[in-house]
Amino acid sequence: MDNDYIAFQGSLQQLLEKVESGEMVPKLQASHAPPCKFWTAFMVVNGIRHMAPVIHGPTGCTYGVANAYKLTSCEYRGVPLEPTACTALDESNVVYGGEGKLVEAIKEVEDRYQPELIAVLSCCCSGIIGDDVETIARDAEKSVNARVIAIRSEGFGGDFRSGFEDAFRAVMDLMEPPRQTRENTINILGARVGPTYTEWLEDLDEIKRLVSAIGVEINAVLCGGCTLDEIRRAREVKLNASWCYDWGQKLGDLMQERFGIPYSRTGQPYGLRATEEWLMGVAEPLGLEKPARELLGKETDQVRAELESLRRNLGGKTAIIEVAEFPGPIRALSLARMAEEFGAKPVVVNIHPYTIKERMPSIKFLIESGQNPEVVLTKGLFSLGTFRSSRRTELEIRQLVTGYDNAIFLGTPMRQPGIPQVNLTTRTGFPQYGFPGIRNIARLVESAVAHAARPRSKLFRQVLYGG
Amino acid sequence: MATEHEFLTRTAERCHDPYLRCALYGAAQAVLGISGCCVLAHAPQGCNMLVNSAFGWQDADYTETLTLCTKLCEDEIVHGGEELLTRTILEAREFSIPIMFILSACGPEIVGDDITAVCEEVQSQVDFKLVPIQCAGFRGSQYDGTDIALEVLLKNLVTDTGQKIANSVCLIAPHANANPTWVGDLRWVQDVLAQMGVQVTATITHGTALSDFEKISASEASILLSFDCGQKAVDYLSTEFGIEQVCKDIPLPVGFGNTRRWLSELAEHFGAGEVADRLITEGEKMVVEVCRRKGLEQFFMHRAPSAIVTDATIGIPLVRFISEDLEMLPELICLRSSQEKSKEILEKELKELSLNPRVIYGADVYQSSTALAESRPEAVFGSNIEKHGIEELDIPFIFLIASPTMRFRMIDREYFGYTGMLNLIEFIQNDWRERYRSRQRRYQARW
Repeated sequence: MDNDYIAFQGSLQQLLEKVESGEMVPKLQASHAPPCKFWTAFMVVNGIRHMAPVIHGPTGCTYGVANAYKLTSCEYRGVPLEPTACTALDESNVVYGGEGKLVEAIKEVEDRYQPELIAVLSCCCSGIIGDDVETIARDAEKSVNARVIAIRSEGFGGDFRSGFEDAFRAVMDLMEPPRQTRENTINILGARVGPTYTEWLEDLDEIKRLVSAIGVEINAVLCGGCTLDEIRRAREVKLNASWCYDWGQKLGDLMQERFGIPYSRTGQPYGLRATEEWLMGVAEPLGLEKPARELLGKETDQVRAELESLRRNLGGKTAIIEVAEFPGPIRALSLARMAEEFGAKPVVVNIHPYTIKERMPSIKFLIESGQNPEVVLTKGLFSLGTFRSSRRTELEIRQLVTGYDNAIFLGTPMRQPGIPQVNLTTRTGFPQYGFPGIRNIARLVESAVAHAARPRSKLFRQVLYGG
Repeated sequence: MATEHEFLTRTAERCHDPYLRCALYGAAQAVLGISGCCVLAHAPQGCNMLVNSAFGWQDADYTETLTLCTKLCEDEIVHGGEELLTRTILEAREFSIPIMFILSACGPEIVGDDITAVCEEVQSQVDFKLVPIQCAGFRGSQYDGTDIALEVLLKNLVTDTGQKIANSVCLIAPHANANPTWVGDLRWVQDVLAQMGVQVTATITHGTALSDFEKISASEASILLSFDCGQKAVDYLSTEFGIEQVCKDIPLPVGFGNTRRWLSELAEHFGAGEVADRLITEGEKMVVEVCRRKGLEQFFMHRAPSAIVTDATIGIPLVRFISEDLEMLPELICLRSSQEKSKEILEKELKELSLNPRVIYGADVYQSSTALAESRPEAVFGSNIEKHGIEELDIPFIFLIASPTMRFRMIDREYFGYTGMLNLIEFIQNDWRERYRSRQRRYQARW
């Protein structure tokens, strides 16, 4: 195979080492931009009910997140329209400071909306001019009924991940000393974006179903539609678990460190083995191994045919896995593990060094847990120009798959690699977690194999890649 | 007749739930209407989301138009981002682009990055034109941003040719229009002008070729297609090149009365009376016949107390349309902007129509929600924001005519003119029926 289009080929461990040593530049090119810290911090607090944000910045940052998250929550998740307030900083505030305006805005938000929680978020403007949002929030809390938290979320202040983490850290300050320890009760960590369409509720539902079936109660999904009261009582649980190891990891570690609450470290429950690990990761610390094993045994029996189908369709194949920024590379690695479980050799394509850097602790955890798939980065990934990068990568993936016998592609239908292709984005394909996930993915893989010879749409191809 | 008009209170200035994005977005909207350009946001990466939204609003094509972002981080805010900006501009040399607009966001402007100086310094090293635009979010709303960008475009790209093209016009700010498929309105205007034998020298901006800017100074007239911004650009063209604004004191052509008046004034200026008369006669006849054949539901509209919550561009002409053609009673008008010229036009309209609604200029979401709760109209002409905002109020009808509607439309459908009337009536009737759709099954089927 002519390899002049390949920028990296090796194991995940080797890629990690190159990123850590700076050999692979962990920076996205100028044409690719995920959300900034402000957007991601907002995502977290947006998942708390009856929270009123006070965004200390201009209207652009505010309307952006209101439109992207609030309104979509209303439209697709039955969430009522709650405010997205801001101080609408203008030129004069930038010159003379906006702290006074912020104090008044907090009081005004309390009067207008009577929220349970007010979350003050700083933006680039307020961050640079040095408005002290944390002190103001602390002082303002004395004169309002709501709890008030502040998050230093200037867009330039860190990458998207730091927004999630700093917001979770601020949420921790709302957790009150436990009045009791609630047996067999857990928190699910790491949800963000609120109860909106970008979270797959079906995966969360499967997690809830599994833990409920072994007699475990969930105090809160932090922060996926939780209440302030649930956050206050978050320290009363026996254990924290996550719906996605990556997003829950920071909050889990911090809660363990600060409050001594153990955190179940397991990956995403894709496939049988990971599902067993996820459930036992919750059951063992709670002393519920017996019901968990019984449940796993019973449910495994019910998916025997699907497990066989997955072994038949994936066994001996090379699974080319491409999951880009959304829904994220951790899913790609979970899929790689699942493919391996069913006898395929996984090759994860185009997991950007940038994302390796941003998700370093999670990647290290996965490697320590024995996941170390082959990774291929093609040069298109590093091209300037989103369209040009995408088109070049498409051509490179088409070339890459020809180098493998018996390959199957797992990822987005936006690629047209010319091999059996599993569409992991269909609505009925969710949940992908747990036992229904095994059923769904088995069906999707069956379909991919059965329809491999069908031509792909010229319309789709030309829309995406020109011509 | 006394009309109660309200402006943003001091309270709203402190705590604002906005309908509008910031100046960076408005500037991006304006420049992304230029075909084949490259837009570089000198900004942290979050601001690039605004550029992406503007890209969608301008119906830009990602195979033709390129957006880049310097993705400023703490280092650039502390030490300055000019070096990174220079590097990114130079990296773009690998593209074949005629022009690059560099838009600065809040961060770099506050720390003093001089994008103009960088552009001057780098210009000789690149074979595309560099145009810096200082449009930080704190400079104002998206409408202010469009005004800023239009000023830069006109001052940088338009030169006085000293000649005039007879019967020619340039169109200003078509994109500042809350119709989710505003391109339909622009197409209608262009079509009408073509029928009147009027040449459009340039549209600033949508699908605008760079070469179009060379013809602008030769325009005989200008038409402003927004009541939310663009007046400054029109005034500049008038002062610098003697380009006369036409249709300037009347609402845009929505509904029979407005369309008739707008076409007549246009025709008077360009000596196209016969064409206008034909368009009016045929258009009105077509609307009546279509409504008769398709079945126009009238009974829910007659004297229904109504609210209009949208931008001034669509909101002002809607007043006459819904009161004269649909027999509704506007009792509340919340406009997202507050331009003096627009206020004058609306006040004149209200006086002529003997209407006395509550009017709020420059409204934010809280103000319009509160006003809707107080006035409890029967119908609201608004956006998806009002749809969710009034959920717990006893307001039966919400007609989704203004952005954001969260509805996918593949075909651009105008509100202007006669087909525009039919489009609006169709949306209204569908939303009216939506109200009566069953959400639940009362019993299960047996098969």
